[in-house]
Amino acid sequence: MASPGGQGGGALSTRGGCGVRRMKWALELSLGNTRSRSDRQGGQGDVVYPIGYSEKPVPDTSIQETDKNLVEKRCWDVALGPLKQIPMNLFIMYMSGNTISIFPIMMVCMMAWRPIQALMSMSATFKLLESSSQQWLQGLVYLVGNLLGSALAIYKCQSMGLLPTHSSDWLAFIEPPQRMEIMGGGMVL
Amino acid sequence: SYALYLSFLMTDLFVDRLVICRRQQYVGKVRFAHFDMHVQSSKKVLVATEKNVFASLNTRTGEVYWRHVDKTGPEGNIDMRCWLLGMAAFFVPGTSTSSACFVGQQDSVKYVAVLKKSAVSLHYLSNGHQKWVENLPESETVQYQAVYSGGNGEVYTLGVVPHSHITIVAYSVEDGEIIKQISVDAPWLSNIQASCAVVGQGMLICADPATVSLYMLDLNVQSQMTQIPLQSLGLEVSPGFQPTVVSTQPNPARPPHSEFFVQLGPDHYQLLQLNNGQIVALRDFKPAMLVSFATTGEKTVAAVMAPKNKTACSLNLFSAESGRRLLDTTLIFNMDPNGGKPEKLYVQAFLKKDDSVGYRVMVQTEDHTLTFIQQPGRVMWTREEALSDVVTMEMVDLPLTGTQAELEGEFGKKADGLLSMVLKRLSSQLILLQAWIAHLWKLFYDARKPRSQVKNDVTIENLSRDEFNLQKMMVMVTASGKLFGIDSKTGTILWRHYLDNIPSNAAFKLMVQRTTAHFPHPPQCTLLIKDKDTGLATLHVFNPIFGRKSHITPPALPQPILQSLLLPLMDQDYAKVLLLVDDQYKVSAFPSTKNVLQQLQEMASSIFFYLVDSSQGRLSGYRLRTDLSTEMIWEVIIPTEVQRIVSVKGKRPNEHVHSQGRVMGDRSVLYKYLNPNLLAVVTESTDLHQERSFVGILLIDGVTGRIIHEAVQRKARGPVHLVHSENWVVYEYWSTKSRRNEFSVLELYEGMELYNSTVFSSLDRPHPPQVLQQSYIFPSSISTLEATLTEKGITSRHLLVGLPSGAILSLPKMFLDPRRPEIVSEQSREENLIPYSPEMPIRTEWFINYNQTVSRVRGIYTAPSGLESTCLVVAYGLDIYQTRVYPSKQFDVLKDDYDYMLISSVLFALFFATMISKRLAEVKLLNRAWR
Repeated sequence: MASPGGQGGGALSTRGGCGVRRMKWALELSLGNTRSRSDRQGGQGDVVYPIGYSEKPVPDTSIQETDKNLVEKRCWDVALGPLKQIPMNLFIMYMSGNTISIFPIMMVCMMAWRPIQALMSMSATFKLLESSSQQWLQGLVYLVGNLLGSALAIYKCQSMGLLPTHSSDWLAFIEPPQRMEIMGGGMVL
Repeated sequence: SYALYLSFLMTDLFVDRLVICRRQQYVGKVRFAHFDMHVQSSKKVLVATEKNVFASLNTRTGEVYWRHVDKTGPEGNIDMRCWLLGMAAFFVPGTSTSSACFVGQQDSVKYVAVLKKSAVSLHYLSNGHQKWVENLPESETVQYQAVYSGGNGEVYTLGVVPHSHITIVAYSVEDGEIIKQISVDAPWLSNIQASCAVVGQGMLICADPATVSLYMLDLNVQSQMTQIPLQSLGLEVSPGFQPTVVSTQPNPARPPHSEFFVQLGPDHYQLLQLNNGQIVALRDFKPAMLVSFATTGEKTVAAVMAPKNKTACSLNLFSAESGRRLLDTTLIFNMDPNGGKPEKLYVQAFLKKDDSVGYRVMVQTEDHTLTFIQQPGRVMWTREEALSDVVTMEMVDLPLTGTQAELEGEFGKKADGLLSMVLKRLSSQLILLQAWIAHLWKLFYDARKPRSQVKNDVTIENLSRDEFNLQKMMVMVTASGKLFGIDSKTGTILWRHYLDNIPSNAAFKLMVQRTTAHFPHPPQCTLLIKDKDTGLATLHVFNPIFGRKSHITPPALPQPILQSLLLPLMDQDYAKVLLLVDDQYKVSAFPSTKNVLQQLQEMASSIFFYLVDSSQGRLSGYRLRTDLSTEMIWEVIIPTEVQRIVSVKGKRPNEHVHSQGRVMGDRSVLYKYLNPNLLAVVTESTDLHQERSFVGILLIDGVTGRIIHEAVQRKARGPVHLVHSENWVVYEYWSTKSRRNEFSVLELYEGMELYNSTVFSSLDRPHPPQVLQQSYIFPSSISTLEATLTEKGITSRHLLVGLPSGAILSLPKMFLDPRRPEIVSEQSREENLIPYSPEMPIRTEWFINYNQTVSRVRGIYTAPSGLESTCLVVAYGLDIYQTRVYPSKQFDVLKDDYDYMLISSVLFALFFATMISKRLAEVKLLNRAWR
């Protein structure tokens, strides 16, 4: 809630700075570092960019090849992340046992929650992978990894008996059957 | 802090968990009473009752000082008499005893003579040792009925050969030698005790209704009986009345007084005097309901009760010697309009300082009520001894308070315009608010007083349901025909109603036709009273909260009634329909409005009933036809030569079963066989030989007559106590083979799959259930068995076992589970099954009545309360005991030691801390923004 005020104040100070010191040009590095990229894009209208500053990055052709490889690698890292966690999860699962107590339950919750969270923010991940050429494959691997992770969590729940898969889990919801006949009587008084 | 205090009070109210258990002790209908006059200031009255109880009551308060509960014999009724002499009390139980009397000599009473069927014995009074015993001559033909001693060193036994002669044998007190033996012709006499009395110096006076005369016989000299026609004395007997003779012998060492009463009519007595062998009429008492002699010091007086007006009687003392009325001795006895007529009079006479005679009386009325009255009519106490013989009972919810009822009434009535509805709503809310404030104020006011001082008077006016419906009205029906309404919380009798002309061997059936839930309509109970001799029945319809007879006239029942059946159908006034089956197997409905008859016609095809005739060994099922006639659809005959039907038990209609199955160790479900029409029939073999006797259990479907299961317990004998509930039957019997009591449990399961989970129809159940059974050894015999009952059936069940010792045991049903494994496995451990062990323990902590033993428990009644965890229990027998049980502990109530102070202060502190820190955080953020 305080950030818009701060931002406004920052912008104001920039302009004020321009106005007070009548300099030909000034380069304020510190301000540029604190601001995010998107902010700068949004504030294109009212922020006066220093002279010589270009919005578009200058393409550097000399190191392009290695960069691309790096991006690819990085993207594969992202895509394979969930799969890599599976052995670790398996180990934790094995160690935590099937008893119902607070720690195993917390672990199962974490295990189940993380893939779900990842699946929910799938679009963001895809954006990350945008630059890669094997974007679709990586996306698929990422998806499969997360699905495997959640399957593992479900399996764990199942082995802990947390899933309502048995008929006994639905026993409480069975209504008493309705009587079709009315009957009474007894010993002759 | 004031508000805080109030909130604590409120929570305190919500967890009103005083251990509420209450016992009331009774003695039964009094047969003999004797005032302890040994000490002038004695406050004791000794009573011997028809329940074979010998007790001492406090004459100031009516409380029981001590009580000796004797065995009830196998024949049921044991004769019992009591006298009191000094501090030595003596009572004679035993069917073989026909009479007994004190024997005194020279003003000291040392012995007691006991007459048995064929012998007479003399015992020392100090230690009960026998001095001598003598056989009675000709005891095969002569019925010896009375024993008498006049203090002259002789004991007379009086025997009679009915319609022939009297035999009188006199024994010497010293050695039991027969001094003389007289036989006198008396062809008109059949019972000495009923029509004769010894008067004066050994003069036997008998009344003969046939010739309307008195017969006199001097026991000292052998002579003939002299006949004195009552007419010669100027007396007249009411037509058809059997005159009786009442005499008095205040001191056993001296002969009886020579004054005696002769009852000449239902309300006519005559005081007579024996004067030198001549009978002189002293005074005529008409109308006189009851007379009684009383002696204090040397003075003997006669108390005579005469009707004053319709609701009161007046008592007066008369001098026995002269028949003159004593001054200032009038006592008024106000009769309870809901009670019976006076039946017996026990007078405690005492000498006042001015040497005049004062007295108090204990009046026993037809409804077994004892009332102790002081002059001039102040009732000191009353005891409702009818409650020692409760036959059946029901618990009825109390009505909501007046204000709540008003609110309910508002929604109950039909809408008549929006504005009036709003106004009505506002006014009722205002009344509620006012009541709530008054309630709070009262709470606050009471809370400042110590708990003992807070008056908890319960009257009919301030009766109201509590939050959790823990307080209910117990409607009790007693064998004497008196109905009681008792508040279950305090044990106060709130109303009583005596139904006169109840036949002596009546069968009662009490039904709640309408509960308090249908507010503008009053609750309604119906009592079916059936005379077992004639088979004719009457209905008594009453309001269970106020005890008033309902204005609804019950139908006249000209035909003998076999059974009744309360249907879940309701008429337009929300009264459940009662069907009465007569001996022609025709059905009549009560109430029988058009609406009801129409409903019955629609439902007829699904209404079934069964009748069990144990004398013929016949179980039969019937179906209702639309014209209210019936059709027999099944019949099971159990040959009466081999076995007889002892009891039949269905399930309780208000029982709820929450869980439809049991979870197994592998988390599958074993579904219960919950047949609402299932009947458990107990049979016992007629052959009682220990090798051949057996007990049979038959599970029968009451609709189809299909035998679901049959079990025979060989070498077993009754009495069988049985509980049938949910999907199980628990019964207890005596095993003649191992000579021990055994519990057996049967459980029925449908299997791993439900046949039909939405409806249950007995007509469509092709698969028989699985039956599991297990038996256990129980270390005590039992007198009654019942199961706890809760609102929703979630709480685990306990069995309430009434033991002959007077304890009530709350036995967890978990111990009576046929799935208890002999070898413990992983799965059984998962299921929390206790490994099987044949011995059933009795743990002392399972006794729900601690040291308050309940004598001769005959029945236990259980009722659900508004709290799921709590079950209300009433045990009745000679005593009445009321308590609550919590089979699964109080899971829905905060604990007693719950620290309200700590928790609420922590809550408040946290609340304030968050408020303060929020404010601080805001300030800090603002400051940072300005920086």
